[in-house]
Amino acid sequence: MKDNRYEQEKKVVIVPCSGIGKTYGTVSREAAYEVVEDLRPQSSQLVALSLLVLGDEAARAAVAANPAVTIDGCKLACATKMVQESGGTVARDFAVLDVYREHRKLRPRGIAELNEGGQALAHVLAEEVAAVVDATPHQNGPVEAEEESNA
Amino acid sequence: MPKLPEKKVGIVACSGEEMAEGTVTRLAALKVLEEMRPNDTVTICLPLFLAGGEGDRAFARFYPTIAVDGCELRCAARATEEHSGKPAASIVVSELVSERGLKQPQGRRQLDKAGQQAVSITAQQIAGTVDLLLDRRWSRREGEFADGAIDLTVQQPKVAACSCGSGIPVQQVAVNGEIVTLIALPAIFEQFQQAGKEPCSAIAQELLDQVQIYNPVPAGQEREYQAALLREYETFYAEENGR
Repeated sequence: MKDNRYEQEKKVVIVPCSGIGKTYGTVSREAAYEVVEDLRPQSSQLVALSLLVLGDEAARAAVAANPAVTIDGCKLACATKMVQESGGTVARDFAVLDVYREHRKLRPRGIAELNEGGQALAHVLAEEVAAVVDATPHQNGPVEAEEESNA
Repeated sequence: MPKLPEKKVGIVACSGEEMAEGTVTRLAALKVLEEMRPNDTVTICLPLFLAGGEGDRAFARFYPTIAVDGCELRCAARATEEHSGKPAASIVVSELVSERGLKQPQGRRQLDKAGQQAVSITAQQIAGTVDLLLDRRWSRREGEFADGAIDLTVQQPKVAACSCGSGIPVQQVAVNGEIVTLIALPAIFEQFQQAGKEPCSAIAQELLDQVQIYNPVPAGQEREYQAALLREYETFYAEENGR
């Protein structure tokens, strides 16, 4: 039976950190959700890190067939390493800490729930990820970018 | 006894970002780690079993571990067993929700009311399981429950909940030309050095006894292990005293 959990058309895969012990993990996830749900829903899709760890065939196939943007919450860079180990191509690897260093006023706090600084940092990060999605060759990228620029 | 983290229960959540149940696992685990059983629990990110080092992979052998999954794929339970050790217990949110007759959680980014309810019952289930596991005897040598008690000298870890990047102290040692990974060896060496024990043949058996608490030593290879441990301890001792 064919596994249809992931859309067949070519989309940029977004893989955030799955950490639960640090606020940066939460920022990475919030940014990823903002990209796939709000900013670039037509040209990006989320893949859960746990499925890649398990070696889930559909998740591996989605990563192998599409360019990926990874968002890591700490220097261990699990998301980036797992995409590479799953045969995927990382178009761009983001580290939340690097983005925070460039926006030190946006200090994230909280894990279950982000503070305002964390929400704002996630938004800045999401905008950067969306720009990479636009610049990465895939099926729907130019259309969506054009629509936005014409809006 | 080497000073190692006291007996705690490990929690590994799938954290599946694609679905609401994954968010439930993450928030429920966090609730237990931070609010309900902060002194009895520790966690590690699931991907570290592959992306991390030997110390990370020793997690489920070192701690009796509860795998908390969002769905029937059971990524956390299966991946933990495959890459670290067999979980002592497994909880699946979708099954728990069905058993309790609750609504399916919605909202992976922001959980709805049913999702928040699922967090609450999942956290209660985890905390109850933590209590059960703490009453049992866990063998860090075998990575399973044992009849014999292991009386560890306790020490509070520097980081309360998250084990990412810290892992269990391990060291690789060549025994008879073969590389073996020994759990707790750095802590054992540190304790011996701090006790003023100089590396000499008189302490070889004592070293082996400590190592065997946490690691299986094949029958008939005790002498080879003693020689390897003494050699490594000589190196450690010289480095420490040279500082």
